[in-house]
Amino acid sequence: MQDIQYIGEHLLPGRLGHFFVLSGLVSALLTFFAYRKTTITNQDSSWLKFSRISWGVHAFSILSVIGLIFYMMVHQYYEYRYVWDHVSNDLPMKYIFSAFWEGQEGSFLLWMFWHVVLGSVVLFTAKKWESGVMTWLAAIQVVLVSMIAGVYFADSFRMGSSPFMMMRNSMDAPIFQNPNYLSMITGNGLNPLLQNYWMTIHPPTLFLGFASVSIPFCFAMTGLWQKNHTEWLKPVMPWTLFSCGILGTGILMGGAWAYEALSFGGYWAWDPVENMSLVPWVVMLAALHGNFISRHTGHSLRTTYLFYIGSFMLAVYSTFLTRSGILGEESVHAFTQMGLEWQLVGFIGIFLLAAGYFFFSRYKSVPVIKKEESMQSREFWMFVGSLILIFSSILISFTTSIPVWNKLIDVYGSVMGKGDMTSYHKAIPLDPITHYNRFQLWIAVLVTLLAGPTLMLRFGGMGWDLYKNKFFKHIVISAAIGSVVAFLLSKWIILPGWQYAVLLSAASFGVISNVDYLISFGKRTLGAMASGLSHGGFALMVIGIMASGLNKRIVSENKFAEEGIAQGFDPGKNAFLIKNMPMFMNGYWVTYKSDTLQGLTRFYEVEFLKMTEKGDTVEHFTTYPDVLYDRKLTKVATANPDTKRYADRDMFTYVAGLPPEQQDVANIAKADSLLEYKSYVISPGDSIIAGKFIVTLDSISLDSKNQGYIRQENDLALSGNFSVRNIEAPGTKKAYPTLLVRKGLLYGMNDQINDFNLRLRLRSSSLDSLIPLDENLNYEPLVIKPQETKSWKDLKITFEGIDKNITHPNYKAEEGDIAIHGVVKIETPRHQVFTARPLYFIRDGSPFNMKVYLPDLGLHVRLEKIDPAKEEFTLLFARPSAKPSLALEMAEEVPRNDYIVLEAILFPGINLFWGGAIIMLLGMFIGLYKRLRKS
Amino acid sequence: MKLMPIIIIALMAGGVVMLISASKDMSTYSTFTHVKNSGESAKVVGMLSKDKPMYYNAEENPNLFTFFMKDQNGEEHQVTLHSAKPQDFELSEQIVATGAFDGDKFVASSILMKCPSKYKNEEVLVRSNM
Repeated sequence: MQDIQYIGEHLLPGRLGHFFVLSGLVSALLTFFAYRKTTITNQDSSWLKFSRISWGVHAFSILSVIGLIFYMMVHQYYEYRYVWDHVSNDLPMKYIFSAFWEGQEGSFLLWMFWHVVLGSVVLFTAKKWESGVMTWLAAIQVVLVSMIAGVYFADSFRMGSSPFMMMRNSMDAPIFQNPNYLSMITGNGLNPLLQNYWMTIHPPTLFLGFASVSIPFCFAMTGLWQKNHTEWLKPVMPWTLFSCGILGTGILMGGAWAYEALSFGGYWAWDPVENMSLVPWVVMLAALHGNFISRHTGHSLRTTYLFYIGSFMLAVYSTFLTRSGILGEESVHAFTQMGLEWQLVGFIGIFLLAAGYFFFSRYKSVPVIKKEESMQSREFWMFVGSLILIFSSILISFTTSIPVWNKLIDVYGSVMGKGDMTSYHKAIPLDPITHYNRFQLWIAVLVTLLAGPTLMLRFGGMGWDLYKNKFFKHIVISAAIGSVVAFLLSKWIILPGWQYAVLLSAASFGVISNVDYLISFGKRTLGAMASGLSHGGFALMVIGIMASGLNKRIVSENKFAEEGIAQGFDPGKNAFLIKNMPMFMNGYWVTYKSDTLQGLTRFYEVEFLKMTEKGDTVEHFTTYPDVLYDRKLTKVATANPDTKRYADRDMFTYVAGLPPEQQDVANIAKADSLLEYKSYVISPGDSIIAGKFIVTLDSISLDSKNQGYIRQENDLALSGNFSVRNIEAPGTKKAYPTLLVRKGLLYGMNDQINDFNLRLRLRSSSLDSLIPLDENLNYEPLVIKPQETKSWKDLKITFEGIDKNITHPNYKAEEGDIAIHGVVKIETPRHQVFTARPLYFIRDGSPFNMKVYLPDLGLHVRLEKIDPAKEEFTLLFARPSAKPSLALEMAEEVPRNDYIVLEAILFPGINLFWGGAIIMLLGMFIGLYKRLRKS
Repeated sequence: MKLMPIIIIALMAGGVVMLISASKDMSTYSTFTHVKNSGESAKVVGMLSKDKPMYYNAEENPNLFTFFMKDQNGEEHQVTLHSAKPQDFELSEQIVATGAFDGDKFVASSILMKCPSKYKNEEVLVRSNM
């Protein structure tokens, strides 16, 4: 294979890419050692200068790697595996970013990119903390760059997976024996599920959140390392708030994506990947509170260290879970394996060891205040709150880590020589949502109870004796108003158990006590707004979760529901909707009105109508859920929901199923071959009886009303226009089976009468007998004068005159042409009247003519000659058979093809969730703003 | 009165109780035979029997989909899912069905399926219960 000279490959970007990956790795190592030296030498200025240059080289290398990958993607260099995997010729440019971070290598790079950005901010702003923090950040970057290094050791151990890997090196396929293989391959492209704007904005935000967790960790590690246990708390505060705000935003965006664009039917499903992005955030919140306590009172410094370290370690652990393939059977959207498992374990191991070493070796030097915090102090309850958050994250991680426990059991088994331990393996709970909710409910109760009162307390319980009256007065007021609010809400929110009543009361108290805090205690400072809004927002979010989750109502219950319940089955959430046939579902008349194709997307118009008993419209709206086809328009790739939003509720709609023929073109032929067609021969005006149907051929036309037919130039569309009656039911239905000749190819277009489960199609032989080749026709001349009537066979022919307005579809005018239509009236023995307009023209001094065809009569007409002297016209007539006819084929009991399977869910109060979450995040960003403004 | 240690101990005790109770929720990976004999719900990992019929007729019941699945021991059973037929189900390479037996039929409350590389190993979870 080495001897093959490949054609058209672009090797330069790959070589440059490898170079920059290596320079990124080496410069990260250099930065680590240089900044370490700077720190140890007490800010030696030459070492500091060197460190900064080294970081600059590192930043440049990482940006170059990213730039090169984009360059390769934009130019579609499919010789590279990463480009081939994620780009295709038809991928719109706006999704190039999504394609970039769809893969593992790209998302690692995104993470590194944010580290470069954040690290550079640290470099310019952290002053005396720069060297320490950057030492640790560089160490993290070393490990991250190694994930994309793609370097082999001793042939068997690969370090990292390179985004610059060539296709021909990544797999062994015969195609790579061909020097010109590149002209034969085209990219795989971006998963259609990911082709939406969420994929463009969600990953960068989430990874910025992940990267932002690293900076506080680096501060904490520097504090331990330099035994400077108190000073780092202040500069780390803005970073902590930034991290809480951004990671929170990223997680919320993930929920919004799931709700808006995916088919989950909700914003949170307790999927392992979701959980593991939540846990580092929760621990970061604990660290935020720990920081407040430590800075204001000097208490709990050790736990604050642990919280910061924990948050980062959990972010790394989360990376391990989602990228090692260990979740395999448990998660909807984990990455697949790419051989980095041990490297990821190493990532966790190295930093766990480092953190453990520094924490325990410095343990004794961390200052501790002997005096116990008093119960009347803010820090006491803040600490309790932090412990509750940690508690919550332990519970979530415990269940989410089940696959890891299984692996550990296996390792234990092989170490102890106990053989196969599979029988000890466990799986994630059968109903994870109920499982997590059951525990997290109590966390939410405790947090919402503590959120308000804690803020009303003072650090150190200052002046408690004077203060306590005010405190208790407001607690009582909040509890009283909160109870009223909870009582009113309980009229609306359906509570399945007393636990939920407790939660609703606690959350209502949480909202009211924080409003009370903002009004009566906060003195309208930024700091008070930050804490009051984030605490109150959280409580409001909890109410929103209860309202939208507990009051969620499936609207699309189908008519089989009752029968299902009788059998003890789940009634199901999908309804069968026939086009233009309104169905009554849970108070709504729902109608599937139409579908329209735009590009690769087919939109379904679904109308909802709510009426009073008198027939007045109460509510009327339309949603447009859609399905997205693959790029060849042959197969449905994914379905997207559409949601009607109100202030107090959302109606979520989703197309859960389509007729097989609309899902995949391949199903059309398959379904058709299963049908039993019967053949008939039928002439215009005649009727046939087929089973319980009376079928009449009203006419034959050269233009089709078939729904699937879109007219193009030079088409020949032969359509039978049928009326069908069912003997057993009233009403007449129309059908337009068609034979289409387009660009020399013949297409048959069947038509279906869904109400009769009847499908009609024309045999291609219809075309042969109706429109034979001209040379096989036996034309007979008829000489006629204007306004004269003559007989030809059983027809009465009148020549009505000439028309210079040319309408013949096949005629293309050229300069110097003289062209006229003859207007010929033809009357049948049954006194039907037809008009034929044959064309006669003179071009370059020679006469030509073009025929017309009357399909109902099977008659071909030409105007052959004009004798101006005698005022005589010579017409040519040909009629291959006495009576034209169509070869019709009909199948009965055909499955319908005019329906959708609809899922419609009502989410009441979901805006309380979004609103509460946004207020909470806003509070964090206000806190960040306050700190930044101060410094 | 030292309250903090009491609170910490209370939280830890509560935590232990919750973890124990949480581990009772854990399910297991199992085989058809085992699930049938135990009469309880579990997760069965297996493959779609492509030679046996799949049935979904939206007109008849949009919430009934049945197919045959072979578990890891090669045992084959019919599986019922009270939901619409998942997209590209026939392409699935591996199925994790969560559910229990009702008579001779395995009734799944959710199905996690893995599709081949064409869709980038994308996995699809289908829940019949909400």
